[in-house]
Amino acid sequence: MSTRTAPMRINPGRFVVFATLAFAVCFYGIPLLWLFIAGTRSESSLLTQSPFALGDWDSFARTWTNLTTYNNFQILTWTVNSLIYVVGGVLLSLIACIPAGYALAASEFPGRRLVLIFTLIAMITPSTAVVLPIFLELNMLGLSNTYAGLILASGFFPFGVYLTYVYFSTSLPKGVMDSARVDGANRFQLFSRIALPLARPIIALVAFFSFLGIWSNYFLAFVLLSDDKLYNLPVGLTALVSGSGALSNLPSNDVPIKKPEVVLAAILVVLPVLLIFMAAQRFVRSGMLSGAEKG
Amino acid sequence: MASDVRAAASDRVRRARQKARRDTRMSYLLLAPYLILLLMFGLFPIAYAFGLSFFDTIEMVFWGFTNYQFVFDDFRVPASVVNVLAFVAIWVTLTMIGVAMLSLMLDSINRKTANTLRTIYFLPGAVTSSAIVVLWLFVLDPSVSPFQPVLHTLGWGTRADVISGIGLAGVFAIMAYFSASGGWIVVFGGALSSLPTEVMEAARIDGANRFQLATRIKLPMIWRSLVLMGILSFAGGLQLFVEPQLMGLAGPQFAQNDWSLNQMAFQYAFRMGDFGASAALSTLLVGASIVIALVIVFATKFYKID
Repeated sequence: MSTRTAPMRINPGRFVVFATLAFAVCFYGIPLLWLFIAGTRSESSLLTQSPFALGDWDSFARTWTNLTTYNNFQILTWTVNSLIYVVGGVLLSLIACIPAGYALAASEFPGRRLVLIFTLIAMITPSTAVVLPIFLELNMLGLSNTYAGLILASGFFPFGVYLTYVYFSTSLPKGVMDSARVDGANRFQLFSRIALPLARPIIALVAFFSFLGIWSNYFLAFVLLSDDKLYNLPVGLTALVSGSGALSNLPSNDVPIKKPEVVLAAILVVLPVLLIFMAAQRFVRSGMLSGAEKG
Repeated sequence: MASDVRAAASDRVRRARQKARRDTRMSYLLLAPYLILLLMFGLFPIAYAFGLSFFDTIEMVFWGFTNYQFVFDDFRVPASVVNVLAFVAIWVTLTMIGVAMLSLMLDSINRKTANTLRTIYFLPGAVTSSAIVVLWLFVLDPSVSPFQPVLHTLGWGTRADVISGIGLAGVFAIMAYFSASGGWIVVFGGALSSLPTEVMEAARIDGANRFQLATRIKLPMIWRSLVLMGILSFAGGLQLFVEPQLMGLAGPQFAQNDWSLNQMAFQYAFRMGDFGASAALSTLLVGASIVIALVIVFATKFYKID
């Protein structure tokens, strides 16, 4: 009997590999799965039922109404603000990064190496390191607590310049550039007629990374913005939690923001990035180690 | 004759020089928007904070190193140095070991499964900044946590038990690892799959098993990139702010307002209104980051300059 079925080889090494990978699936997957299920459940369901009990439409609808109408539709204001910061910041970073990356890749000029070195240093320095200095500066200029201040600061994106520089260094057709040059095209025409049409992939890549950074920017927004009408979603989320005490397990108050509402607000912060991630996973691969030598 | 030739030559030289000057001007025109931002949000703030750090910003008088003295004398600063170093040690270790191990394991199983798992590991990257903390305050609360059975098994009945059981540095490291490691696993997935197949074949023919292949061949080949990841994580970790700052969302008894160095710099500016002290501490923090960046740029060849 037992000889007929293929011998079941229990290889301890393979077992360890699959056990570890499965453990990691739980670690990364379960909190995220829980978050999206919890958005459909009521406060009492969260506290008394099993962690993965499904909610129902009624609780979700009630949670949604509580969250959106709270404080005169505050969360909608924050969502709109987030969109303003993202659109403004991404556009500004593209306007700055694409021509700059092109100029660094396609031409020789005095000071080029210096600009490249500054760009690398600015790119490797964590952006959080400069948040307080930027606040001190914008405060002096009277630009803290304004849309413009945050948009300008988030338009500075040295990583985007470096990505564009690497992209154009390898993808510009030298022959076409040279003959256009001979035909009397100046540098600007070379940029607008030859480089820009080729730039679609790099524009998408820079916009992707710039979007991620700006959408989830908490520290800079938190420091710069003191008026809650100007908050973006990540700062708004924390204002919602600290204003309602929804996470503190203290005796309940009559603020309609409870755990389910907080979960739903967190989903609002996470969902756009999640959708873009699913659509563009390969971007991360090509971007994050771009230019770094392998091995 | 000779003078004609010379005139023509010098004319050519002049024209070439003119053209070079025009080209340089055009290059700077293309760079202009970026250079303005680099000046405004890279160089100037750092220089401004550096300058400010030597002033009594309340009276606006120069007082040398007094702000630095003040920062070093604040008993909370050494404590936050210890905190941040503990966090960085745990986080960098977790990241290096976790990312290397999972990437190598994924590279040894069939491609389709590996891609699915990689996507699952990667998705928490969408949970960033304040959302990480809010999510993990739920996950670490045994009354609602999806890991409820595990937390109860470990004998933790309340969120306070869980946090003191793991330790704050560990809690922040887990939060940061949860969100940041998946992207690296995707990157190393790409790097591993592009390693030369001849080497793998040769090793396999020589009788290397999968474990030896992973530890003796693949690991050394990705080692340099792993180190770069470690250094970048170290630099980022020194700037820790959001995770400790938002612990207070769980209630006043959880608040950690002066746990990290960046929080101290924030406290000086916003709670005490002392911009000079804030600038002094920020200058030290930025300085550390820039030193690390200079080492990466000049002592390694990770990023191409030319």
